[in-house]
Amino acid sequence: MHPLLEHQLLTRRHWLSQSALGVAALSTLLAENDLHAEGGLPGLPHFKPRARRVIYLFQSGAPSQLDLFDYKPGLRERRGTELPDSIRRGQRLTGMTSRQESFPIAPSKYRFARHGQSGTWLSELLPHTARVVDDLCVIRSMYTEAINHDPAVTFFQTGSQLAGRPSIGAWLSYGLGSMNRDLPAFVALVSVGSGNPNDQPLYDRLWGSGFLPTRYQGVKFRSVGEPVLFLSNPPGQDHAVRRRMLDDLAQLNQMKLEESGDPEIATRLAQYELAYRMQSSVPALLDLSREPQRVVDRYGPDARKPGTFAFNCLLARRLAERGVRFVQLFHRGWDQHTNLPRQIVGQCRDTDQPSAALIEDLKQRGLLDDTLVVWGGEFGRTVYCQGKLTADDYGRDHHPRCFSIWLAGGGIQGGLVHGSTDDFSYNLVENGVHVHDLHATILHCLGIDHKRLTYKFQGRHYRLTDVHGEVVKPILAG
Amino acid sequence: MASATLLPILCLALLPAQSASPPVVFNRDVRPILSDACFACHGPDRARRKADLRLDVEAGGKKTITPGKPDKSELYRRITSTDVGDRMPPARHPIKLTAAQIDIVRRWIEQGGQWQKHWALLPPQRPALPSVQNTRWIRNPIDAFVLARLEREKLAPAAEADRVTLIRRVTLDLTGLPPTPAEVDAFLADKRPAAYEKLVDRLLASPRYGERMAIRWMNAARYADTNGYQSDGERVMWRWRDWVIDAYNANMPFDQFTIEQLAGDLLPGATLDQKIATGFNRNHRGNGEGGIIPEEFQVEYVVDRVETTATVWMGLTLGCARCHEHKYDPFSQKEFYQFFAYFNNIPEQGRALKYGNSPPTIPSPTRAQQRQLQELDAKLATARKNWQQQTSALARAQHTWESAPTAALVGQWHPGEGLLADWPLHGTLAPPAQFRDGVATFTADALGQVAVFDGKRYLDAGDVAGFGFYDKFTLSAWIRPEGTHGGTILSRMVDVPEGEGYALRLVQGKLQLHLVKRWLDDAIHVECEPTLQAGRWHQVVVSYDGSRFAQGIRFYLDGRPYKHKVLLDELNQSFATKEPLRLGAGGGVKQRFQGALADVRVYNRVLSADDALLLATPTPIGKIVTTAAAKRTLGEQAKLRAYFLAREAPETIRHAAQTVKDLESTRQHLVESFPTTMIMAEMAPPRQTFVLQRGVYDRPGEKVAPGTPAALPPLPNEGKNDRLRLARWLVAPEHPLTARVAVNRFWQMYFGHGLVRTVDDLGSQGEPPTHPELLDWLATEFVRLKWDMKALQKVIVTSATYRQSSRLTREMLLRDPDNRLLARGPRFRLSAEMVRDQALSASGLLVNHLGGPSVKPYQPAGIEKELGADPYVQDHGENLYRRSLYTFWKRTVAPPLMINFDAPGRESCMVRETRTNTPLQALNLLNDVTFVEAARVLAERVLRASKPSDDERLTLAFRRILTRKPRPAELRVLTAALEHHRQIYRADEKAALKLLHVGESARDRGLAPAEVAAYTSVIGVILNLDEALTKE
Repeated sequence: MHPLLEHQLLTRRHWLSQSALGVAALSTLLAENDLHAEGGLPGLPHFKPRARRVIYLFQSGAPSQLDLFDYKPGLRERRGTELPDSIRRGQRLTGMTSRQESFPIAPSKYRFARHGQSGTWLSELLPHTARVVDDLCVIRSMYTEAINHDPAVTFFQTGSQLAGRPSIGAWLSYGLGSMNRDLPAFVALVSVGSGNPNDQPLYDRLWGSGFLPTRYQGVKFRSVGEPVLFLSNPPGQDHAVRRRMLDDLAQLNQMKLEESGDPEIATRLAQYELAYRMQSSVPALLDLSREPQRVVDRYGPDARKPGTFAFNCLLARRLAERGVRFVQLFHRGWDQHTNLPRQIVGQCRDTDQPSAALIEDLKQRGLLDDTLVVWGGEFGRTVYCQGKLTADDYGRDHHPRCFSIWLAGGGIQGGLVHGSTDDFSYNLVENGVHVHDLHATILHCLGIDHKRLTYKFQGRHYRLTDVHGEVVKPILAG
Repeated sequence: MASATLLPILCLALLPAQSASPPVVFNRDVRPILSDACFACHGPDRARRKADLRLDVEAGGKKTITPGKPDKSELYRRITSTDVGDRMPPARHPIKLTAAQIDIVRRWIEQGGQWQKHWALLPPQRPALPSVQNTRWIRNPIDAFVLARLEREKLAPAAEADRVTLIRRVTLDLTGLPPTPAEVDAFLADKRPAAYEKLVDRLLASPRYGERMAIRWMNAARYADTNGYQSDGERVMWRWRDWVIDAYNANMPFDQFTIEQLAGDLLPGATLDQKIATGFNRNHRGNGEGGIIPEEFQVEYVVDRVETTATVWMGLTLGCARCHEHKYDPFSQKEFYQFFAYFNNIPEQGRALKYGNSPPTIPSPTRAQQRQLQELDAKLATARKNWQQQTSALARAQHTWESAPTAALVGQWHPGEGLLADWPLHGTLAPPAQFRDGVATFTADALGQVAVFDGKRYLDAGDVAGFGFYDKFTLSAWIRPEGTHGGTILSRMVDVPEGEGYALRLVQGKLQLHLVKRWLDDAIHVECEPTLQAGRWHQVVVSYDGSRFAQGIRFYLDGRPYKHKVLLDELNQSFATKEPLRLGAGGGVKQRFQGALADVRVYNRVLSADDALLLATPTPIGKIVTTAAAKRTLGEQAKLRAYFLAREAPETIRHAAQTVKDLESTRQHLVESFPTTMIMAEMAPPRQTFVLQRGVYDRPGEKVAPGTPAALPPLPNEGKNDRLRLARWLVAPEHPLTARVAVNRFWQMYFGHGLVRTVDDLGSQGEPPTHPELLDWLATEFVRLKWDMKALQKVIVTSATYRQSSRLTREMLLRDPDNRLLARGPRFRLSAEMVRDQALSASGLLVNHLGGPSVKPYQPAGIEKELGADPYVQDHGENLYRRSLYTFWKRTVAPPLMINFDAPGRESCMVRETRTNTPLQALNLLNDVTFVEAARVLAERVLRASKPSDDERLTLAFRRILTRKPRPAELRVLTAALEHHRQIYRADEKAALKLLHVGESARDRGLAPAEVAAYTSVIGVILNLDEALTKE
């Protein structure tokens, strides 16, 4: 928060606390205003936003663009032949395949077809996505700089390959604040891919606040144990006991506030009340019993199973409805160095139907207009086979030079394909979209000029987009 | 809203001394404005400089002003121009100047427009003490500076805090723990004038002091127990952490503290401790992810060292000059890489080990282990001497025995220690071993019956010898290859080409050992030099020592050691598989062995060269005995001696031999149990350093030699130009930054903010000091005190400034909400570790054991599992109650309690303290087992105390947490609450019992559950009080 604003707020709290208001009234008043005031910088959004919230379906491990989105019919006849040097151009490879003696072309095993009015090519692995393809903008020309998971995911999340900077959700929570007084502004949800359950791990930094104050970090909702850490009362302290404890606590803190005059005490009073409200708002959020069966069915058979991507997609919609600013799903399991044809089937079974259902569900509720949905991983995969290419098996290594993601909803043109790659999906041909560009575009949809959302740390005015990033204007809705 | 009208008032209050002190000071008032708004284009960065104008130095800037005449100054004209094309900063620049800032520039020009060199780059000058009116308030020079400023502002300092507040404040500050009621009583009873000073001395002498100081340093040093990338495997750096605690407790002077951590390895005759100290700059993260480009990360490690060293000692953002010239401070990109060169000469690899410590490392026995080793070595020397004295007796005894051998010895004999399994293959098979892809075929041969392998069939030996990368093992076999095919002799490996697992293989006549997680980038692959002859029997032995390196492998062929060639040495994960042990197969059908095998053995230890010689000696003992001594081969002699010693020698001789062996084995176990530490070391010849264009690892430019920035004092001349010289340069008295940065961070610890609030940036973009003269006085005082950290801190905590009450009046809240003027004492929330340690301490659960491996206290189950990380195996017993600085720190899944309370994530250097106030903190304190258990144990404690009344018990609990006694109104709230909860729990004993079972410490069964539960709930309230979480 801007220091002046902070002081102003603190002072106001202090005055309130000296007034004749009772404790309970005081804390309610503070809490309601708090979240409004604590969220959001003055002057933001910079211009009229097209999206008010984001649901980011992050596909961790890096899905193969060659098997899902980027159709390359010419590869079939080149199957098993060496990747031409004119394509590879001596560009760097990961240490996993750089010493391979051969780089045989591995065409996708899966068939592609055109879908929707837009006639967008999609793989047979994505039958549900095909249904909503006219709502999507598929970017076939994403590229990144990192070649390994940890730096690459960190880059997508924070705009830097190295740890230490705020995640995109933390930036938004800092810049725009929350729209719900009982829930955090930034929620992270994780799920395990059934295609490759022991795949790449995730890290707290992916939803961390970096050098921003920790209050802006994402709150991870959990699928095992308590949905939010430490949410439940300990055994033997029921609701009534807890309420009494909080009342006593408020009374004693109020005495202290009067004696010491520190407005921080008033803030603490408000935070305890918010915590108490979260104890009921979060379980209510997770309780799907009132959700119509036909809606749940749309998300697929796993939708009632906590910890699945389908469950998390449904939850994302419920969070979006409740005004949570940034919901990010992380689905693991896409790192197919070997056994790609088998593993990717499982991954698509996990994600295809729920992702499409989310789009449809948001649309039916009128939420898609001002909700930006993003689907994609941290890089793409190589056209050449990692390890031995056999009749029915292949693997693909990491490929940062081009890959596909899609966006939909608030501010984005549907039914569009943006950018293209060469015949091998190895190099960009036109309209490359860098990670910084994607960030600039997401912020733009939310009404933020990415060059003007800054935070001063160690002498520098840091941005999510560092000193780069161009808004991808051709994909924006008119 | 009322708040809107408030803004102008606050602006006025916050501006630096506007009304009281009209003169504008360039460094304090003007530089921050120009730096933020102008330097990016008109500053030190030549490449980005616009219009060839720089405003950071007078030589460049003076042409833009006419002293005394703002209206005739181009600078002023441009910042006030109404023409958008003319106006500075330009419209696209993110920074806009406020009216107040423009006014400062105007007044500065009016007053003559003098530039100053950036204050932090000029050495601190010891200032004269300012004169003040209220001299009675002054306890030491700190107070003179603070009071002079207050008097200028027409303010008075706050009254001294009451003694109870004071002992709580200073005990938390110096030890990180609250005082006990007994300590408080003793202090209150001490009526001597020096009582407070004595208290400070006692606290500084407490071992808890070193722990308290260490955690701050650990945050700065980005200390953690894991490597920080991807799988985030464990590392072992706690010996470095303990070095820090010890150094603080021993009050090592800060200059020595600096030199040993940056360059202890380069000190003449460096001790183990001095080498461990250099772990400071190995605490950065290390990437062991498969497929990374090692060169890329090797650069990142060096950059991390540069940035950390620059931040911690100089408060400089040197890292900004990595890709281009620094935009605000006078540091060029070339100077960044000159500094980089000091840290670029470590024999390290860009690809770190995924699990454990990456080289260079050093075995780091604790003092107790060092003592144990000494004792063992003494015993071993005696035992060896004793054994040597048996030599002639042994020869005599053996001679006597040989002349009349017992009948039972005709059979075969081999070393049996550590033998896990063996397959003689002499014509029969013991289940479960069975042949597959063909039937068992044996043939008679010089070695008796042997098994024949035809390139198809193999022996499936089942689930034995399932070794992983930390395991020691030895594989041994007699082989007679047929033709040139070779093949796999022995393996536990997936039966596909380039499969995962281990295999001993013959390839084109040469023995190879494969230890493979992933072929090519996660494997060891070595080849023994000599070529084996086909159609001939060879005895082969290969051992691996569990070190994960190719150098830990030994080959023996026909009893003699041979060298091996390293083809791959990048093992990073275990190669254990669920495959069966196969003889004659593994790694694909094309690798099936062709030839004969006999006497295959697997040991779970590393066999010695002597052992290998015995295995290569097939002659039965009975035959050796009957061979004339002079005609026996070396192998036969050794085998007979070994057999005799093992089976037939007289008891005294066997005992003497066994004693040596046992002691050697004990010694080896001890040495292997030593923790290691990653340390700094130098390479010869040195790695060359280049300017990296745009900071990218594969774009080297100009070659550079080690050096320091020209804007700082020159390096000392003595010695080599290495890290040691750099460290000495940092602590030279004329260095303008080191002492200032150090005292500024101490100040932050006590007052919540530094005198320079941007403790991590004393450069142009940082805030100017609130009390520049005080900062310089403290810095020069620190040097004058010979960098004595305890003495310096004693000066701070005994000052009247520190001892002020922290009560905030409405007037001061408006006038100085941030306490920049220091007209009151500090009041702010405890740090993460203090929040937890206080609860443990108040309840009596705290285990005050100093140092040792990191511990794993309670953590909500499944956090790491959900993210796909390695499981967190929680400790039990004492380890649940150690101080928080010992909590195992996994970087990618950091302890949630610590992160909730704003502890830095330890992924990179962090010296700035931040404090937030969130609902997650409330949930954490109310519901985490750590705090619920502490409340329950404290409840039991006060119920056991010999205090009959609720009032007295509640008072005791209150005092153990808040130090002071509750006021009557507070006590009324607490007793009413107690009565309320008592009624509830009396009616519902089940609920009470549930509450009492929270936490692993045994509950006191002698106490009534309802009573304990009621007290637990009330104490839970006390633990959550704002005052409990606050130092005031």
